[in-house]
Amino acid sequence: MNDIVTPSVSVTPTARQLPWAHMASQIRAVMRLELRKSFLGRRSIGTIVLALSPVVIAVIRLFHPNLAANEIEEATGFFSLLFQIYALRLVLVLTCLAIFGDMIRREVLDRTLHYYFLTPIRRELLVVAKYLTGVVVSVPLFVVSTLAAFTIAYMPHEGVQGFLFNGPGLGHLGSYLLVTVLACIGYGSVFLLFGSFFRSPAIPALAVMGWESIHFLLPPLLKKFSVIHYLQSLCPVPMSEGPFAILSDAPSPWLSIPGLLLLSGALVAISAWRIRGMEVSYEEE
Amino acid sequence: MSAVENQIVYENVSKFYGEVLGVNRVTLSVPPGITGLVGPNGSGKTTLMNLTAGLLHPTRGSISVLGATPEHPEDMFRLVGYATQYDAFPPGLTGFQFIESFLRVHGYGRVEAEELAWKAIERVNLVDAAGRKVAGYSKGMRQRIKLAQAIAHRPSVLILDEPLNGLDPMARAEVIALFRELAGGGLHVLVSSHILHEVDLISDQVVLIHGGYVVAEGDIGGVRDEMEEQHPAQVLIRCDKPSLLASRVFLHDHVVEARVHDDGKGLLVRTRDADQFYLLLNQVVVDTGLVVETVMPTDADVNAVYEYLIGANGGKS
Repeated sequence: MNDIVTPSVSVTPTARQLPWAHMASQIRAVMRLELRKSFLGRRSIGTIVLALSPVVIAVIRLFHPNLAANEIEEATGFFSLLFQIYALRLVLVLTCLAIFGDMIRREVLDRTLHYYFLTPIRRELLVVAKYLTGVVVSVPLFVVSTLAAFTIAYMPHEGVQGFLFNGPGLGHLGSYLLVTVLACIGYGSVFLLFGSFFRSPAIPALAVMGWESIHFLLPPLLKKFSVIHYLQSLCPVPMSEGPFAILSDAPSPWLSIPGLLLLSGALVAISAWRIRGMEVSYEEE
Repeated sequence: MSAVENQIVYENVSKFYGEVLGVNRVTLSVPPGITGLVGPNGSGKTTLMNLTAGLLHPTRGSISVLGATPEHPEDMFRLVGYATQYDAFPPGLTGFQFIESFLRVHGYGRVEAEELAWKAIERVNLVDAAGRKVAGYSKGMRQRIKLAQAIAHRPSVLILDEPLNGLDPMARAEVIALFRELAGGGLHVLVSSHILHEVDLISDQVVLIHGGYVVAEGDIGGVRDEMEEQHPAQVLIRCDKPSLLASRVFLHDHVVEARVHDDGKGLLVRTRDADQFYLLLNQVVVDTGLVVETVMPTDADVNAVYEYLIGANGGKS
């Protein structure tokens, strides 16, 4: 054995850093570790493939024999359906479940959560750091996916430049990207919460998916308890929800955006409260 | 520094898992040095360690570690390093990354974290394997990298749950030497094991735990002395005239039994006062010229104490 370290209470990092700087460095360290162990390995391949699947669908459409290159409205309709039905309601929800729902739950199953709990980081801060990691992973992933699918959807049509720069095109793209970012933030906080409370976050997540998918049938009061209600109101192209849909006034962006952000903050705070009181007893799992 | 600030203090600590008892009414003060936590599997050792490290919360009572409590992890976990019995590691990391990453979570900068990580790895002799993924390590290497992770931030309290499991004899000797070195530097080292002679070898004091209750605590000699009335101490004296020695010691009240060994070259004595007996033995040697080869207490180790207190099979019938 080498006689290298003299055991003693060392000068702690806090002794040299301001509390905020110290907390920020701890958050960065957790995010770096989370990215390294959960999102830069083979485990993340399935998530990436799923997130990029709307792009694949947009590419497949290019080979459709009846694609009318001169009708740009067709591209608008196609992308609206692709984004609102498939990307937003299915792919983004499932991917956020995989990313955020596993942040606490996977550590319990892998029996590794105690390594974090044995470091001098406040557990609330740990939860925030894990949530931010999920946002940092999911937002670029879905922004790229949305951007690529949008580009490919409009690519074969004549007059794309005019639609983008002299028409509503860039506005549409901006709205879709805003919805994408808000959806990652909103669904991320929901699934982080489920991962903190439930042994299998997939079960409540399925319930949420069911709730979100029938939201057009809900009375106006209940619609307000659905994330998709706010996200859909921000989408630039209204989508027909069929003859049985119960119509209600779309909330204004000034309510939807801060409302979703506040709701997400509240859900992350509940997760943090839950983790603060959590015991590590893997045997019960 | 007050006594509380230099000890791990348990005040009437109980932990129940629903109806199931984990530990009950534990009141202890653990001073610096190596403290062995001894008991059979399921006796409550790991529960007590997890309570100490804040991974579990006591149902009743309180614990403070050198004055710090788990409610304030930013203070407590600078003082505490814990190598748990869980044989699991974050996926995809090398031994070095594993230690360095968590040092960064402590708040150390990159250069300092790397420096501390290498020092800890050198200390457990894993430098050659530091660049390999932990998933590919042997059981012994995994035990050592866990130990390195627990000592990397230079804690004042080191908690080790069955740390010698899976180590080969050479690594065992090295790790025990490391424990001694750390304790010699003023650390509190709390070690659990269900292998009694192992704890006996390394501990300055022991805590015997059974069925969730602490049944004895202190240095093992002191615990044994307190049991002399019910369980007289046994001493084997290898000498040239065991019968003569037997005739001389039998005259004294504190000697309850003296039996010549089967091979005729030793005497097994049971006495209620070991100190008096050793004085008597000296006197006999001076008076008779008895040639004594060895004097060996046969039941002064933790194994015997445990057996007397709980039973050979851990109290199970």
